[in-house]
Amino acid sequence: MCALCGVFLTEAHWTDVSPSPAGRSARTRRHERLHRATLANRILKHYGFKISDWQGNAYLLSSATGQTAVLPNVAAVWPAAEQLRKRALDPLDPNLIDALERD
Amino acid sequence: MGTPIPVNIVTGFLGSGKTTLLQRLLRAPQMARTVVLINEFGEIGLDHLLVERVDEALVLLQNGCICCSIRDDLKSALRGLLSRRERDEIPAFDRVVIETTGLADPGPVLYTLLGEPVVRHNFRLANVVTTVDALNAELHLSRNPEGVKQVAAADRLVITKTDLADPMQTAAVRDRLARINASAEILDATEVGFDTEQVLAEQTRDLTPLMRFRPHIGDPKPAPDSTQGLQHNASVASLSLALDEPLDWTAFGIWLSLLLHRHGDNVLRVKGILQVQDTAAPVFINAVQHIVHPPQHLERWPTADHRSRIVFITRGIDHALLARSLEAFSHSRVAARADA
Repeated sequence: MCALCGVFLTEAHWTDVSPSPAGRSARTRRHERLHRATLANRILKHYGFKISDWQGNAYLLSSATGQTAVLPNVAAVWPAAEQLRKRALDPLDPNLIDALERD
Repeated sequence: MGTPIPVNIVTGFLGSGKTTLLQRLLRAPQMARTVVLINEFGEIGLDHLLVERVDEALVLLQNGCICCSIRDDLKSALRGLLSRRERDEIPAFDRVVIETTGLADPGPVLYTLLGEPVVRHNFRLANVVTTVDALNAELHLSRNPEGVKQVAAADRLVITKTDLADPMQTAAVRDRLARINASAEILDATEVGFDTEQVLAEQTRDLTPLMRFRPHIGDPKPAPDSTQGLQHNASVASLSLALDEPLDWTAFGIWLSLLLHRHGDNVLRVKGILQVQDTAAPVFINAVQHIVHPPQHLERWPTADHRSRIVFITRGIDHALLARSLEAFSHSRVAARADA
């Protein structure tokens, strides 16, 4: 529930909740997880990271220099990447926005 | 386990009329089975069967985020109500109203409702009601960060003591509140026809404030870069966006989670009704600082306009950058924007 503390909660993080009533999503769960990783990588590549699905229930964060971390949801990826990189990931960073607009 | 019991949070600055409002609300026959949790017994007594006292006791989580702290007193009080009801020590109840102290940050109250496992399975947030005293609103909102947070967290804003205030003063307060929180319904406690039932109604029952844009659409005011009390609070303002294309929920969730991770202290509220790809029903989103309520599927749109509407209440954040960032990541064009 909390963008910071979601990692400590046992239930699905809000970013994992299906937007369709009763979970009737057009995508399969696996497809949805791959889609989520692809989208998150649009931001992460700007900072030298990428994530991939890890055994269908976590995400593997890896850096260009070989650092890795296994994380339960996308919200937990941001602080982990910042800790590895010692740099803030900021969605309001004009350089990131420029890069996203060029995508 | 039955249906979660609705919980209303009544907050507002010291002397803003929280208890007086509660007295009025509790007079309604349908409120007979309501438990009221209060922090302090004030001068005004509450003549009600079930009034319990709680002491504000915060349990800080390890990450040190204040808004995401469990209020230990509330946790114990709410869990205690369930077990006492089970043992027939108290009558059955179908609603809980929590009256906070004037200085309370609403974040931990909300986090306790959403984050504490037993509490979240048995109770659900109905809405947040914030009382604002027409006579002292300007002073409180300028000097007290908690007062601004209480206004930002509100689903209903009740202006009190308007019978004692000059109509111009009341109009100015109403305008100030609408600028801070464009997503809340603003009610006047002394107006004829003041509907007490409407005050406690579910937050999703009336979403028309979300669909209504304030008239002055244009460039945002520059965000003052100051940590001084007065200016700091003055920089709190709403940004309302309407988006043309249906949103990719996954993309929106990723973007919002990063926004709240990085700027949650200054994004006091995000409230919206979203048109999501591959889904006919609208999705209601609601976040108070770092605390995100699970997205809720609504049965129908409140108006014929089915474009996504999102209100962000921010402090010192460049609204143009915020809108650009959302557009760039979600690939949904901002069709209309209103800055307060």
